[in-house]
Amino acid sequence: MKKLIITLIASVMLFASATEKERAIYKTILNAIFPDKKVIYVWLDNPKKRAIFEKIDRVKVVKNDKDADILILYNSFDNPPENKIIFADGYLVFEHLKDKLVGGFYWQKGRPNLIFLKKNLKDHNISLPKSLKEYIEDDM
Amino acid sequence: MKSLKGIYLLLALSITASIIYLHYGVNTTHTKLVENIEKIFVLQAKNFAKNIDEDLKKYIDSNKTLYQTLKEEPQLRAALEHSLSTISTPSFKYIFVLYRDKDGRYRYLLDGSREDKGFFNQKLDVDKNMWNRCYETKEDQIIVHKNLEGLWITYLKPIVRSESVEGVIAIDFSTTLPATINEAIKPLEKIFYYIFIAIGALMLILLYQTILNIKVKKESITDPLTQTLNRNFLKTFLSSIDLAKYQILMVDIDYFKKINDNFGHKAGDLVLKEVAALIKKELREKDKLIRFGGEEFLIFLYREKHNCTAAKIIANRLKERIEKHTFKYEKTPIHITVSIGAASKPEHFKSADEAVKYADELLYEAKREGRNKIVFDIQNNEKSDKFKTLSEVKEALDEDRVIVHYQPIVDLASYKTVKYEALVRIVERDGKIVPPFLFLDSIAHTNIYVDLTKRILSIVFDKIKEHKISISINLNLSDILDNMIFSMIIEEIKKHEDLAKWLIIEMLETQHYSNIDSLKDRILELKSFGVKISVDDFGSGFSNFSIFQDLPIDILKIDGSLVKDVNHSKVAYSITESISLFANKLDIEVIAEFIHSKEILYIVKDLGILYGQGFYLGKPQESIDTKKSILASQTSA
Repeated sequence: MKKLIITLIASVMLFASATEKERAIYKTILNAIFPDKKVIYVWLDNPKKRAIFEKIDRVKVVKNDKDADILILYNSFDNPPENKIIFADGYLVFEHLKDKLVGGFYWQKGRPNLIFLKKNLKDHNISLPKSLKEYIEDDM
Repeated sequence: MKSLKGIYLLLALSITASIIYLHYGVNTTHTKLVENIEKIFVLQAKNFAKNIDEDLKKYIDSNKTLYQTLKEEPQLRAALEHSLSTISTPSFKYIFVLYRDKDGRYRYLLDGSREDKGFFNQKLDVDKNMWNRCYETKEDQIIVHKNLEGLWITYLKPIVRSESVEGVIAIDFSTTLPATINEAIKPLEKIFYYIFIAIGALMLILLYQTILNIKVKKESITDPLTQTLNRNFLKTFLSSIDLAKYQILMVDIDYFKKINDNFGHKAGDLVLKEVAALIKKELREKDKLIRFGGEEFLIFLYREKHNCTAAKIIANRLKERIEKHTFKYEKTPIHITVSIGAASKPEHFKSADEAVKYADELLYEAKREGRNKIVFDIQNNEKSDKFKTLSEVKEALDEDRVIVHYQPIVDLASYKTVKYEALVRIVERDGKIVPPFLFLDSIAHTNIYVDLTKRILSIVFDKIKEHKISISINLNLSDILDNMIFSMIIEEIKKHEDLAKWLIIEMLETQHYSNIDSLKDRILELKSFGVKISVDDFGSGFSNFSIFQDLPIDILKIDGSLVKDVNHSKVAYSITESISLFANKLDIEVIAEFIHSKEILYIVKDLGILYGQGFYLGKPQESIDTKKSILASQTSA
């Protein structure tokens, strides 16, 4: 499985466009966080990213954050709901809300960067597959 | 035409090869240029990295690690990052330093980037394989990116202190750099592409011109009515033809004028078109059909083998097919026939023109023989090698190797030579004498025959002038009827008008002619110059006593086949006697040919024949000796 995921990511990285790469990475992330859910309800604060998520299998983008399984935040959110899984879509928002996030994804220097936060993953009872373990950080 | 096509093909191939070579050249140049520029930038990055490494080491406490020093001294970090940012350019987009933490992740120590800046200790996901190699080898690494947005190359230099790597200096090259190189090369490429386009356009024009040229050329060599080849083509074709590879047919529509007269020119055109189409159906791809004249078609039949029977087969097939075909003009059926002259071995002629003329002569012969006929050349009869070809006779004429032998005609009362018969010979280059039966057939109906007759007349007139004695020459009745030959004879006689009375024309009666009035007129014209007319070989072949009623004949020569048998054949004797009596009654001079023995001589004399000719009386000789008479021993009883 690990090999498969790595191969998938590597293939995507080699031939895909930035959007496709991002979609593939998010697909991996969402599948890892919600391995058993038939439909993953996603709420976004950046409408430009909607197209990326809408084309991911099992993902449904919702308009109301209360209906969502996960919130993908591009902008800072003053009072994010406590019980929701939150994922950052940029380094600044990641830095700002890292106490409440399970992780973040951002581009830096043309390179895709992925971070999962161990404590918050644990709080939400999320266990990531081995292939993503290397992205888990203990303390930030 | 074929060679022209070859040239165009060669030109097209050369241009295509040049374009491919140029395109390859531009691409190679491009690649090499990019490689060289890449090398220059890599070298520059190497020097930058080296300087950064040296600078960093100056500021690091020797008792601390790089990480510890920079963690503890934010101001130093800021200053160093500022230094790094001064090196940063649009080409060297990001300059930063990372270290590897205990978990193997890479994190920022310094970042001199002007944008997308990372913070101290922030994780950066990188190509760990290559970065780890820096740690393992302690050597610089170059990463060529194929999948990173905006990045082309990353130059990595490990910061080695006390034999261990404490960090890695990274310099990211922007993709704007190869784009800049591409931009720089673009004008050069454009020039080449413009050249390609220009060459391509030139090729299209050339192709268009070629097609146009072929079309015009085709039109110029095609007869618009029959869509056969025309005389323009013939002119070119004859200049390059290998006669050994063809046989020639000359086809003429019989009584074509009548079609035009009876049905109009449109009907004539229709017949011509359909005849051409019928002929085409009988021909093969390599054969050539040419409209030679109004209703005359010239066909060159291709042959692989020397002894080819194609001419005979195709000529017969053509004749039959056209004869059986019903041409319909406005529902009126028209039937026609054709006459064909077939030259099966045109290679025997000196030139293609002569061969065509010869085929035309054969056609003329076919028409003269009543039309709806095919006349084949002498070579068709598979004669032996001894027979001379037309070109050999022509060469003999050109080289003055045509001579005349003279056989005496003797007064059987006095045994004195009273006249001579001129007999033509060809002297071969080795001196061998060729008798006329070995070459006359091959030149029949050709201009060579006319030339030969003219030469004989000239020689004979010279001899007459010299000896003032009658000399006879042999001609066919058809020669008298032939406009060209007759005009030539009259012309020669006029040149020697004072000697004409010594000239005797012996007409060989081998063919039957219906045009007796015309013949009579011409004989009378000859006689008006004093020329005497003799009938040769009388008593054999088509001999007819009515000739004496129709034509003003002076002399009659009894055929040798009768004379030689008078001593043992009653029939021969009786016929000879009858001819003699008949001629004497009409006051026609009689000459007996073929007197080869004393016995024959006396029988002939007894029959009242006054003149004789034959080997017993005198063989043909090159010279004339008027003083010489028949030996007493030969003639005494």
